[in-house]
Amino acid sequence: MKKLSQILTLLLISVSFNSCTDDLEVDPNDPLRLDEEAFYSQPGAYSSAIAGVYANLSLTSTNGATSSNLGGIDAGFSQYGRVVWYLNNLTTDEVIWSYEGGNDIGVRELQRNIWDASNPFFRGMYSRGMLQVALANEFLRQSTTDKLNSRGISATEQAEIQIYRQEARALRALAYYHLMDFFGKATFNSENDAVGVAGPEYNRQQLFNFIESELLAILPTLKAPRTNQYGRLDQGFARMLLAKIYLNAEVYIGTAKYNECATQCTELINAGYVLNPNYKNNFTADNHISPELIFAIQSDGVRTQNYGPTTVMINGQVGSLEQNGDDMGIQGWGGALRLRKQFVQKFNGSEFSNDQRNNIISGSRNIEIADVTDRDQGYVLFKYSNRTSTGIAGSNSTFADTDFPLFRFADVHLMYAECAVRGASNASLSQATTYINLLRERANNGSSIANISQSNLTLDFILDERSRELHWEGHRRQDLIRFNKFTGGTYNWAWKGNGINGIALPQHMKIFPLHPATLASNPNLTQNPGY
Amino acid sequence: MKTLQKKLLLLLLMLPLGLLAQNTLKGVVLDGSSKQTLPGVNVLVAGTTNGVTTDFDGNFTLTNIKKGDRIVFSYIGFKDETITYENQNTITITLQEDQKELKDVVVIGYGTVKKKDATGSVTSITSSDFNKGANVTVDNLLTGKVAGVTINSNGGSPGSVPTIRIRGGSSLLANNDPLVVLDGLPMDSRVLATLNPSDVESFTILKDASATAIYGTRASNGVIIITTKKGSKELQVDYNVQYGTGKKVNKIDVLSADQFRQVVNNLYPVGPSVPNSAFNQGVRDKMGNANTDWQEEIYRRTDYIDNNLSIKGNFLGLIPTRLTIANTYQEGIRLTDYMNRNNVSLNLSPSFFGNHLKTRMSLNYTNTNRRNAPGVEGGAIAMDPTQPVYDPTSPFDGFFEFRDGPTINDFAPIAVANPVAQLLQTNNRSENYKLFGNFEVDYKFHFLPELRWVTNLGYDRDAGNSRNFTPITARTSPIRQNALIGNNSYSDGVSTNKLIDSYLVYNKTFNDLTFDVTGGYSYQIFEGYGYTTRNQNNADDIPQSTVNDDIVYVGFFGRTNFTYKDKYLLTLSYRRDGTSRFSDSNRWGNFPAASLAWKLKEDFFKENKIISELKLRAGWGVTGQQDIGAGLFYLPQYYLGDQNSQYAFDSNYFNVAQPGGFNPNLKWEETTTYNAGVDFGIKDNRLNGSLDFFYKVSDDLFQVAPFADGSNFTNEGPQNIGSMSVKGFELNINYDVLKQENLNWNVNFNASKFERRIDEIAGGVPIFVGNIGIGTESQIMQEGFTPNSFYVFKQLYNNDGSPIEGAFADLNGDGLVNNSDRYIYKNIDPNLILGFSTSFNYKNFDLGFNLRASFGNRILNVVKSRSSYYNQILNGELQNLPSSVLDYNFNTPGVGQILSDLFVENGSFLRMDYATFGYTFPKWLEGKASLRLFTGVQNPFIITKYSGLDPEFTGGNDQTIYPRQRQILFGANVKF
Repeated sequence: MKKLSQILTLLLISVSFNSCTDDLEVDPNDPLRLDEEAFYSQPGAYSSAIAGVYANLSLTSTNGATSSNLGGIDAGFSQYGRVVWYLNNLTTDEVIWSYEGGNDIGVRELQRNIWDASNPFFRGMYSRGMLQVALANEFLRQSTTDKLNSRGISATEQAEIQIYRQEARALRALAYYHLMDFFGKATFNSENDAVGVAGPEYNRQQLFNFIESELLAILPTLKAPRTNQYGRLDQGFARMLLAKIYLNAEVYIGTAKYNECATQCTELINAGYVLNPNYKNNFTADNHISPELIFAIQSDGVRTQNYGPTTVMINGQVGSLEQNGDDMGIQGWGGALRLRKQFVQKFNGSEFSNDQRNNIISGSRNIEIADVTDRDQGYVLFKYSNRTSTGIAGSNSTFADTDFPLFRFADVHLMYAECAVRGASNASLSQATTYINLLRERANNGSSIANISQSNLTLDFILDERSRELHWEGHRRQDLIRFNKFTGGTYNWAWKGNGINGIALPQHMKIFPLHPATLASNPNLTQNPGY
Repeated sequence: MKTLQKKLLLLLLMLPLGLLAQNTLKGVVLDGSSKQTLPGVNVLVAGTTNGVTTDFDGNFTLTNIKKGDRIVFSYIGFKDETITYENQNTITITLQEDQKELKDVVVIGYGTVKKKDATGSVTSITSSDFNKGANVTVDNLLTGKVAGVTINSNGGSPGSVPTIRIRGGSSLLANNDPLVVLDGLPMDSRVLATLNPSDVESFTILKDASATAIYGTRASNGVIIITTKKGSKELQVDYNVQYGTGKKVNKIDVLSADQFRQVVNNLYPVGPSVPNSAFNQGVRDKMGNANTDWQEEIYRRTDYIDNNLSIKGNFLGLIPTRLTIANTYQEGIRLTDYMNRNNVSLNLSPSFFGNHLKTRMSLNYTNTNRRNAPGVEGGAIAMDPTQPVYDPTSPFDGFFEFRDGPTINDFAPIAVANPVAQLLQTNNRSENYKLFGNFEVDYKFHFLPELRWVTNLGYDRDAGNSRNFTPITARTSPIRQNALIGNNSYSDGVSTNKLIDSYLVYNKTFNDLTFDVTGGYSYQIFEGYGYTTRNQNNADDIPQSTVNDDIVYVGFFGRTNFTYKDKYLLTLSYRRDGTSRFSDSNRWGNFPAASLAWKLKEDFFKENKIISELKLRAGWGVTGQQDIGAGLFYLPQYYLGDQNSQYAFDSNYFNVAQPGGFNPNLKWEETTTYNAGVDFGIKDNRLNGSLDFFYKVSDDLFQVAPFADGSNFTNEGPQNIGSMSVKGFELNINYDVLKQENLNWNVNFNASKFERRIDEIAGGVPIFVGNIGIGTESQIMQEGFTPNSFYVFKQLYNNDGSPIEGAFADLNGDGLVNNSDRYIYKNIDPNLILGFSTSFNYKNFDLGFNLRASFGNRILNVVKSRSSYYNQILNGELQNLPSSVLDYNFNTPGVGQILSDLFVENGSFLRMDYATFGYTFPKWLEGKASLRLFTGVQNPFIITKYSGLDPEFTGGNDQTIYPRQRQILFGANVKF
């Protein structure tokens, strides 16, 4: 009996010690969070996943505009389109921001061209751009034929997913294009790298080669222009991006590629895009229906909320004196954005008095901005609107419904013209003049009263016309650099280099520096010269 | 004659038998107070190896003994009994409880040990040593009493959870709080704010790894073991009541209304040929006619009432029971702030089968209600002193606010809000219900009394809710589309913690060697969920439910203790812990420990009457830490977009899905500690104490560090990237200066010093911490330096010693003064910490007080550094400035001036926490009860050179704190 009770007790002990070590594998409890295999076993997972790759252009996190999936920087300051706009427009003659203190750390240094490496926007752009690369790479890793077969994806869905893959590659190329343009370098990661690998540094030549080869490789299998669902890219996008890198090739790799640019422009002109008869309908709450947009970064006041470029521009447009938020369908930020004198002067002349692209409001304002923080100084702009083309207000008075026109067809006309002026053999000056005049006629309601002649087509003209047409669309700094007017003192504008009338900028400022946190995280990266 | 001969013959006959015979003694051993039989008692023939133990019925049979042998009966918790064998056949021995020995028994991990046999750095504090005075939270009992333990109440908010650090902590990012174990249940440190101090019997603080390693995870920062009071044999009733009245101690120096007027008039001159005269007149016209001291207006006198009733006894003669009912009501000095806490706790500890089966059940229920006042110190300092508190024409419920027009939406957007209005109009109430308890079974095997099996089941449920209501007429209510919308939000949450511990203990004595071995298993799971409506007045806010990821810990542990000749002690322990926070390959950590002790007294000073104790100790151990908050950061997961985070293909809106950042390589942070100490006692331990030296190294430190962009799905996150070391010493001395019939005087003194150093950070790249709201942090974590070192600019001065505004040394000599010219100047850690407490009894009078001092800790006075500038006086509307602006004459704030070493001040202080004086009536109510009446002062004084409000807070950046109050107390303790 004693022995039996001994054995029983020992048995009890060992049973009680039975390890619940399996409990150490915990599953996520939050319904909005799934582990990898659980996620991919759901129907429609791949569509959600590719939407997630696109969404990085619009959203800063999966739970709202004030959250960010990047650390060390405010959610608004690392939204993709917004940092592109800040780096390419705020640093130029086209616009100035009124709030230089408090929460807007780093804005002052950007718009006065006095930045140093610790500016948070440099971390925002680099991290956001590289996150775009990482998301695309992950989609490619998860959509290999092996993975698709093992997850039991049907043949029809697999065919569609193949197109998703090409779109992911195009989005990756877009991110590398922006990083190449802003920083002159990027970390190279592909889908062949495992997560956690710190990639090598690629310079402009290497990035250029990669972007070009990628776009040429996927071009045939992408959907034809204007045939894909809205929100997804197509061959038009790929050609546009190729045109951009060829146009700026002299800057990027020191070799002119204007012929190649002109080729892509001609393809785009024959692809079926048309100029919207009403210029401003490219910038309204319903601009997604405009036939002129080649690709836009989405925004929706309720469903795709973000503090991105259109939310910022439209709220910023509301003038401190004009109080015209209601006209724009938005609440407004008390006069955050004004125009610098040199931009306004591009519309000087009677030929611009009825130009649809001239949306400058002068009122009783002084054109000079003596005090950057005085919101009553300088003219204001009413280009973007959160009302539809028929005047209906957007769905939310804080967040815009208006999409950001990243690539617009009018740009193709201008690029063709520029290639012609720069001596491309397959672009004729007479054809270029025709294309410019199409823009002029559209701007003047079909009238040819402001048309130009071939002799007007000079480089200076092209640069100014690009600003008149494409201001506030994320191009200006890139254009100024290409025309050698950004750095140096040949063209100065108000507050350039922190001088009230502008002073020359040193050459090294054509490229932005890498933020110390970016450098710290990857020993393969080196700082840009001059910083 | 014949009888004598017969006797002699018998004697002669018996003599050889007596000489040669090996006799047998049978007997039974009883407990002197319960008269129950005592199993497991050691029965040993002194000086031999001949020994047995009593069985289940308390019986024993001892053979091979001869007359004259001394037989020793010993049992833990009882005084030894020795008898001389005189050929008895049977014997009954009664053992008496050793009260002193019980007192010297200290609770350690999974067991107890006699203090004199402890090999690790273990400090025990019992109720007689506790701090007196207004102890609202349990940590108040301990402040300043234990060398190496710093307790920061984090300001004056009633019943706030304190920040406790043992030996400076061991981590950077991971939780630096020590593990709190309450009656065997490891709990969140929040329990310190809900437990009633009168329930606590004792604390044991485990400081070095040899003692803490057996707890595995979270033991790196030390362990505080709390034991609550149990029932007793006789009925005892205790009733305590305290009343206190309190008020603020001091204020921050700001300009008075008249000084303010003078400054405004000087800055904005008017006159016929004065430039900007019209504008300046406009500024002057903004001033009001009042003389308001806003810091007086936001504070009030407070009441504190504490009642507790505790009944201890033996229910039905069988079940030792303790029942406590308590209520604590404490107001904060901010208007409207208060806490009301009700506690009921029950402790039952019956034993069965003659102490073979001991059980203990404890249950504690606490209900806390609060009205939380918002932090308005910043507003009170900045508010224009020429404006009144009330304005009958104001649309904001009659409170003055800066506005441009008559309606509530005419508020001036950038002006300071009326802090009194903010306090009175904000209605933020929270309730907390905490139920925790455990059930422990301790079974001594009938067939093998040396073997015990202990199982402890613990449960903790913490539920709370909070309501936040601000009317639309409150200036500080939320704003949407430029209009005030008021706040109406509700949130609640529940978190639970369940534990099972089960272990076996075996002890055995052979001759001079006593050893015990413990081995067991532990399982703990944490769950939680929450819900918030966010602001129901805001159409953009949608309610949100969250469910926390479960956190599970599984551990296996073992320990053995060897004692040889009661002089040489060795302890070995090992724990293997698994956590759900890491991937399978990094999940388990191994934590060994070893320690030795040598009772020098027994070897060298055995007969010495002066030295009563002298023990050398040395220990080594490895402990682990994995508490980084997030439960599943190692796992690749997909995050689905909510309804505001969608993307459209044509007109189909998709809930997007993005992979989240993760780190599959997360693993245990491990700390290795080396500890050497000596425990000493003089003159029967009248003077006793200990001195410890320690050195600990933490490897694989957690820190939020950048991920290489492009390699992961976020740009920074928790990683194991560094190492840190801490070294120091602790000295603790207790001295019964006078110990007489009518006169007792006891003092406790402790001193400690610790030095933290970051040895390595991945990539050698420093990390900046200490956000003060200007986009640049004030402190740095850098290799080779103490964590939280100030990283500041070096101020330049005039010949007369006054600082030159905006002028800093070009330390790297490159001709520019920028971020690269910052340098490391001091840090937040003190160089030395001292504690002192004393109690003095003369006849029926008692007097007690304590002192605490900290030397060398530095503070960045952000209140001054951000606001001592004349240009700050006008920011939309007028705002007040600290008086220091008159000393410095600075005009414009800049990142450099705000982070200047000018504002890094020495925060050394000497503080008295309490002084009490009481008188006891020992024979109250005809001897049935004793009554003690007492009075005292809580927080009577602080001596410091620091120019801010209070140098005692965490983090080193003084951006105002909730000030502590000074209270006068009256109370009574009644014992039946």
